[in-house]
Amino acid sequence: MSADLLILKRRAINAVALVLSAAAALLGLFFLAWILWTTLSKGIAAFDVALFTQMTPPPGEPGGLANALFGSALMCLLAVAIGAPIGIAAGTFLAEYANRHWVGATIRFVNDILLSAPSIVLGLFVYTLVVRPMGGFSGVAGVIALAFIVLPVVVRTTDDMLKLVPTQMREAALSLGIPQWKVTLQILYRAAAPGITTGVLLALARISGETAPLLFTALNNQYWSADLSEPIASAPVVIFQYAMSPFEDWHALAWAGAFIITLFVLVLSLIARLVLLRKRVPND
Amino acid sequence: MTDLRTAVAARDAAPAATKMAVRRLNFHYGEFHAIKEVSLDIPEKRVTAMIGPSGCGKSTLLRVFNRIYAIYPGMRASGEVLLDGEDILDARYSVNRLRAKVGMVFQKPVPFPMSIHDNIAYGIKHYERLGKSDMADRVEQALRQAALWDEVKDKLKQSANGLSGGQQQRLCIARAIALKPDVLLLDEPTSALDPIATGRIEQLIAELRNDFTIVIVTHNMQQAARCSDYTAFMYLGELVEHGATAQIFTQPEVQRTEDYITGRFG
Amino acid sequence: MPNEHIVKSYDSELARLTEEIARMGDLACAQLRAGAKALDARDAEAARAVMAADAEIDALEHEVSHDVIRLLALRQPMARDLREVMAALRISADIERIGDYAKNVAKRTLALRDAPQIAATRALASLAQLAQELVAETLVAYRERNAERAMKVRARDAELDAEYTQLFRSLLTYMMEDPRNISGCTHLLFAAKNIERIGDHATNIAEYVWFIEHGDREMPEREKRDTTIDAR
Repeated sequence: MSADLLILKRRAINAVALVLSAAAALLGLFFLAWILWTTLSKGIAAFDVALFTQMTPPPGEPGGLANALFGSALMCLLAVAIGAPIGIAAGTFLAEYANRHWVGATIRFVNDILLSAPSIVLGLFVYTLVVRPMGGFSGVAGVIALAFIVLPVVVRTTDDMLKLVPTQMREAALSLGIPQWKVTLQILYRAAAPGITTGVLLALARISGETAPLLFTALNNQYWSADLSEPIASAPVVIFQYAMSPFEDWHALAWAGAFIITLFVLVLSLIARLVLLRKRVPND
Repeated sequence: MTDLRTAVAARDAAPAATKMAVRRLNFHYGEFHAIKEVSLDIPEKRVTAMIGPSGCGKSTLLRVFNRIYAIYPGMRASGEVLLDGEDILDARYSVNRLRAKVGMVFQKPVPFPMSIHDNIAYGIKHYERLGKSDMADRVEQALRQAALWDEVKDKLKQSANGLSGGQQQRLCIARAIALKPDVLLLDEPTSALDPIATGRIEQLIAELRNDFTIVIVTHNMQQAARCSDYTAFMYLGELVEHGATAQIFTQPEVQRTEDYITGRFG
Repeated sequence: MPNEHIVKSYDSELARLTEEIARMGDLACAQLRAGAKALDARDAEAARAVMAADAEIDALEHEVSHDVIRLLALRQPMARDLREVMAALRISADIERIGDYAKNVAKRTLALRDAPQIAATRALASLAQLAQELVAETLVAYRERNAERAMKVRARDAELDAEYTQLFRSLLTYMMEDPRNISGCTHLLFAAKNIERIGDHATNIAEYVWFIEHGDREMPEREKRDTTIDAR
């Protein structure tokens, strides 16, 4: 085939591939845009200060999502408070002490399985482990279930971020005569901090939308409750309940809740991105 | 007339005491025998360069001098390395004490993720309790010695990541010499830098040799020729030849050394 | 043991240097031969030709100089390579001087045009022959980088010195016998001295060949037999 023909053929293939991939991207974006638009329009329509001040109402009465939002916030923050430290410690162990060891490889493998485990399975697990012995649903069980989702995400990101720190930085710090634990705490964490923080924020973003595990563990609560030994309301569960109901005003509240969660996740993601970008100062 | 050779050699490298003595050192990575029965004297307050093709063991040897290899599994050294007469490979010789006496600077400049001042202060803090102004003095002293003070004195609180590559490397040198070690190990310190930054570091090495014993590993023979007083040539884990730099580069005794430095094999 | 540089152009540049010197050397030998012959035959034409041809040797010396500087700047030669390059520079200077002396010997032909024949010119021709052998031999030693051969040349220079001393004495004798000979004999004396100096330069070249091989190491002892300062 002559050179010209070859080039023409290549150009043609290039054009076709470009068109197809653009079309695929547009398709995905189209649906994403549709979902966002729907959430936005329906959510804003139902938006009201009352969402944050009034409790979840029985059908037919005006109300808000205060207890659900509070329950979600409480459980998510506690889950992160439990899952993140353990996750960071485990990730550090993997990256610093067990990096090329078979133990490390095994832990990573198990972690990856946990990471991709369906959250409903985790919920069931916690149900068997905590709810049954406790004799009832509780916020504690919900926190534990969510912590199980946070854990592998944080382990993974901590492990990856620590591995990104150049070996020579470790060696440079050790060459000064600083003991390993100090090097990890004072140098490595500082170097990997943006990445680890992002990991935690993303884990938080993920669990704020998890519904399935909460169904088995925290259940729901119509009233305001800060008692974790009792069932507690959470936004995803309330949305689930209200959306499946035949009541219009409940539907509206469900959309409002979905909108709030989406907004929250969006803000978190933006913060995570900013944190990561800010720390990257260019070198020459 | 008969002693012209020895007289020239004596002029080129005035005699010095031995700071580190390597005696029949062997080093293994797992099964691989990386350093084979190497014996070498490192003279005090002089610059000793180690040259050789890739994989010859020169970096490995350097990393034995501060036992940094110990953080990796499967590496073992046997033989003796005497620092001021004490064997540093002995398990009873504390690694931290060794690293306070033997500092290291790496190929890639790796400033800690802190301000310039904190980078230098970090190591010092580990060993000494100093007041704020004392610490500031120590930091300034180290930066001056590393020929970096004038360029950073107004931005000590800024992140070290904002410096250029050459400046970062000088920062790493300042960080190492802030601890006042006896020996400074430089592992290809300028291979990541442009020629001007390289020149500055070479000038710095010339100044530092008055205070420190320096061992530099370089794959750039011209750099070894410019910077060092003594040169050791290694090949496949063995020490082929060792002597005054002027001698090695004008009239080496071993044919293999001459083949390497004249570019007949590499 | 590998003999070639990894970068082949380096080898070809060094080879070019050697070739230039070989060419210079051949020219100088030819000049000496022609100059002595012209003197012997009192051939003014031939003498002028020799004098003109010296320009070529000078031009080659410039080329060698230029190439040496280039090599030093661009290749940073070390050890033996450096000795080769330095030796090439100095050997070319010695060959250039040999060429100049050959030219001077030819020049004497013009001065001797009207002088009476002198028996000593026979001895001068033999002196020139010996000198020419020395130069040829030292150039072979250089081409082969053979230090032993070079040392033989260095030793043989003693022969040249001895013959020169002989010639010196006989020329003195001629001058003392007949004052009309003084002018002619003086020119022959100068020519003989030039030829003796050629021998010294050939020895220098031999010493550089040793230097290339052995660097700073001591050369074997040798004798000097120019005892003209002792002549009465």
